[in-house]
Amino acid sequence: MTTTETLRRRVQLWFGPQHPGITGNMSVQAWLEGDTLTQGITHVGYLHRAFEKLMERRKFIQSFPIVCRICVPEPDTNEYLLAAALEELSGLDREVPEKALWIRTLVLEMSRLAAMLQVLGGHVGSMGLGVVPNWTYTLRDYVLDRFEELTGARVYHMYTVFGGVRRDLPEGFAERMETEVLAKIEAKLPVIDNAIFDSSVFRKRAIGVGVVPEEWADEMGISGPVVRAMGIPRDTRKDFPYLKYPELDFEVVTTTGSDIYARAWIRRQEIAQSVDLIRQILRRMPTEGPYCAKLPNMLTWTIPPGQTYVRAEASRGEMGYYVVTDGSDKMRRVHVRGPSYVHGVSLLERLIPGTNIADLSPLMVSLQTCPPEIER
Amino acid sequence: MQFDSIEEILDFAIGKEMEAHDMYMDIAGKVKRPGLEKTFLELAQMELGHKARLEQVKAGDLSGFAAGEVQNLKISDHLVDVKPHPNMDYQEALLFAMKAEQRAHDLYVDLARATSDPGLRELFKGLAKEELKHKLFFETEYDDVILEGN
Amino acid sequence: MSLKNTLAPFSAWMQAFSKPFTVPDEPGVRPGAPRYRGWHINDRETCIGCGTCAEICQNVAIDMVPVDEPTKGDSGLRPKVDYGRCCWCALCVDVCPSGSLAMSNEYVWVDHDGDAFRYTPGVDEKPWDGAELGWRKDEGFDIVDHERVPMGHLDPEERIHTWAEVVVGYTEEEARREAARCVECGLCVAACPAHMHIPDYIAAIRDGDDVRALNVIYDNNSMPEMCGKVCTRRCESVCSIGVNGDPLAIRWLKRYVTERFDDLKSVLDVDVERVGEGRKIAVIGGGPSGITVAYYLAIRGFEVTIHEALPQLGGATFFGIPKYRFPMPSLEKQIKLLEDAGVKIVTNHRVEGDELRRMLEENDAVFIGTGLMKPYRLGAEGEDLPGVVYALDLLRDKNIGREVEVGERVVVVGGGNVAIDAARVSRRLGAEVTIAYRRRIVDMPADDEEIEDAEAEGVEIIPQAIPLRVERTDDGRLDFVWGPAEMVPSDRGRPRPKLIEGVEHHMVVDRVIVAIGQSADHSWMPPDIAEKVADAKGWITVDHNGMTGHRGIFAGGDLVNDTADAISAIADGLRAVEGIQRFLGILPEREETEPEIPVITVR
Repeated sequence: MTTTETLRRRVQLWFGPQHPGITGNMSVQAWLEGDTLTQGITHVGYLHRAFEKLMERRKFIQSFPIVCRICVPEPDTNEYLLAAALEELSGLDREVPEKALWIRTLVLEMSRLAAMLQVLGGHVGSMGLGVVPNWTYTLRDYVLDRFEELTGARVYHMYTVFGGVRRDLPEGFAERMETEVLAKIEAKLPVIDNAIFDSSVFRKRAIGVGVVPEEWADEMGISGPVVRAMGIPRDTRKDFPYLKYPELDFEVVTTTGSDIYARAWIRRQEIAQSVDLIRQILRRMPTEGPYCAKLPNMLTWTIPPGQTYVRAEASRGEMGYYVVTDGSDKMRRVHVRGPSYVHGVSLLERLIPGTNIADLSPLMVSLQTCPPEIER
Repeated sequence: MQFDSIEEILDFAIGKEMEAHDMYMDIAGKVKRPGLEKTFLELAQMELGHKARLEQVKAGDLSGFAAGEVQNLKISDHLVDVKPHPNMDYQEALLFAMKAEQRAHDLYVDLARATSDPGLRELFKGLAKEELKHKLFFETEYDDVILEGN
Repeated sequence: MSLKNTLAPFSAWMQAFSKPFTVPDEPGVRPGAPRYRGWHINDRETCIGCGTCAEICQNVAIDMVPVDEPTKGDSGLRPKVDYGRCCWCALCVDVCPSGSLAMSNEYVWVDHDGDAFRYTPGVDEKPWDGAELGWRKDEGFDIVDHERVPMGHLDPEERIHTWAEVVVGYTEEEARREAARCVECGLCVAACPAHMHIPDYIAAIRDGDDVRALNVIYDNNSMPEMCGKVCTRRCESVCSIGVNGDPLAIRWLKRYVTERFDDLKSVLDVDVERVGEGRKIAVIGGGPSGITVAYYLAIRGFEVTIHEALPQLGGATFFGIPKYRFPMPSLEKQIKLLEDAGVKIVTNHRVEGDELRRMLEENDAVFIGTGLMKPYRLGAEGEDLPGVVYALDLLRDKNIGREVEVGERVVVVGGGNVAIDAARVSRRLGAEVTIAYRRRIVDMPADDEEIEDAEAEGVEIIPQAIPLRVERTDDGRLDFVWGPAEMVPSDRGRPRPKLIEGVEHHMVVDRVIVAIGQSADHSWMPPDIAEKVADAKGWITVDHNGMTGHRGIFAGGDLVNDTADAISAIADGLRAVEGIQRFLGILPEREETEPEIPVITVR
């Protein structure tokens, strides 16, 4: 081995852990040959707060404010899944009122919308196109305004709780959602299309880059936009229906190509889909009735022994909670299955060899990692 | 009874207070129930206070009289009088005191009615009110202690 | 790459002319949403210091700090929030039993001092105090259970034909469910005269450990089955869950546990030092206070003898309380425990003459708990007519098994629990019953549930009725004459009834039952000792050890406290248990800071 070769092999780059793009605090230890990556090892743990262990030592209700932290941009899937798991194990699921089911569906779609707006901006932001993220982040902020109005907080909503939700829909919420959020998003989407999907820069850097072979889909448990960009119509909302999704009218969005472009396109389509779903939900939601079941004393609530796995479609893919109860007032075990573990660690490491250094950040964004759910 | 002057009336009233004082002192020496002797000594002492107040009035200071209306709870009105006896208890002691004050009150009311002199009538009325005040004191005590559950 | 793809992105320039997203001017603070979860606010007056907010806070961001003097039902503590730990989840607000805690929609606060971000809302003044907007408790969302598990009662129609217990009692499942409502704030402990370890035994019931619950209960109450049935339950009146809902059924839970075990001795695990070996104690009066003194001293090795004038121990809980509230087997079970503990019981023995003096010489201490046995008189004309009886006599005769008869029509004079008992007993004896009470129904000292039960059983209550006289009718019955009263304000205390003259109502009855109150009778004591311990009203004053003005004589129960309930008598007994040990030099003198009624445990 020549000296040059050795040197070349030694060029090592730490990518992160300060937010490499919008993927959250994780880092990739990458080896370079020229500007081509030869190997990448993911390093996570910078956000490790032992959520699962914290929850196993807390009463159920005290775990409720913790789970939202497992994915900052999209906390509601976590809140819903914890509630769904414990409701199933305690039998409370039979008492969740109709209105709560609708509000939960609404909140999940709102959080998917907010997260997809964020990551769509990230797609191009990571390539240096700063203008589009400005728009999508603003649109996301409009969604957050509605979250603030509904849940009392912009980011950590702490809203979907055992038995239903914590508060009723405020008066005039549907109108404000339409004029302040949905209409604005729809007005902006064509502009975004022009700036992203019709941009030769974006096309050049996204098409054919970061291709995930179709055969990995089942082998690795790939889900969400990544799998749908392969042409596989895999969507928890359809495959394992929950809440009010079976009553809503929507098709699973798929495309082919399985590259960064295809994944961005799926997200763009699903933003429109979410807008439509939110309209459907607000139109069909009952206006009367309770929004939460009558709860037992949450300070002494115990749940009979049992175990369950519940899942829901986050913007990133299938999110799941495996919960074991033992008859006490705490969870015996809670395991959070985040899609980022597959996408952000296993898949990313397999995709890195051969990727250009400049494409690493767009690649990571297109896989949409949320590190806290990797290191629950 | 006939009275010719204010002095005479006040002397009569002062005499009545002294009579009451002596009577309470007498009963105090006879009752057996623990603590009740002290109660009657206190009652006697109270009469001395009333006497002092009347002497003040006699000296020309009318502020000693009760101002305004005095409440009449009428508790003693429909209760049976008791005679003092050595085995009296607290309820009987209160009944006895209430009735004594009521008799004094009634006496002055009668005297006020009987006299034609407006000045004297006012004085009798004032004295009656004084006695009513004493009665109210015992009735309140009776209402609080004996009739607490009724 | 098409030309379109090259040109299209430039359309973004068009956005330069659209209205900017950002706020161009006035960089002031944007107000939080109407239900925003911002800085805490607390209503200091409404807050009861129960600490449930601190209990639920998973960040342990809330400390309960002393602010006001504690009172019954208010610990005097107030939550202090540490914003270095708070995560703004607002569970503290949603759980707050009094509804005092809330959050403002203010969220901006700058301070150079980090410690400033630890404050006591409602106590430390903040600009957002009284904020109209922010996170508030909402009716549709409750994370504590405000609904009591209902207690079964015999049907009123059925009740008046039987002496069976009216209250059915909780099943195991019901008890566990009711116990689970407790938030373990402990306000009840301070309110209970005996400071029973209420949250501890409720938690044990909830956990399904009835043996532990029973042992906790017997820490400082040796007549819990009685309390479980008839206690005045001051605990429930301060229960934090009761502020905006039904208080925990503390009494019924205690009843549930105590009824589960027949042989108490085999279940109770007593572990106290037998410090009293070789010492003798005489207890005069076998009521709750005397039984308490006897049991807790006996298990400590003292040789205790109880002297009781009636044929059975229990005091008012034996001769006063009717059996449909407190059946005989329950009482017998508790007396059996007393015997098992080694207490000598002498019944049918009234202490008289110089006996007390002799007892003082023969014993290390004497405890008096003879209660209030002498009824107050009606004081009205006709009181001595046959057919005018005293409620205490009637209840006693019924309870010791004598033949009692009240005729067809009865009027009970009075508004306390004794009056209600007399009325309900008369109802069971077949009479139509009316209660005549001088004040308003709200003023009645009787337990609200007792009043309800009585009314359900067909007892009529006439409030503001002043008895004027009793006359004999031509056919040998009684004419109870009463006059209506108006309530007049008083300078001293509650409004008082005043007779409205000129109106007289007549009621022809077979019995007039007088239940206006009772006093103590000390004629059994040597006069010189009586003079030292009692006052004119018959009350006995004791010091912090429960000792009277006479050395070596301790006292408790209705003679001493003015609440006249069993649990206060038990508390007096507990005070004397410690006081006697202090008096005998077994325990050190009481420290100023120690509570007057000791918090004791025997496990």
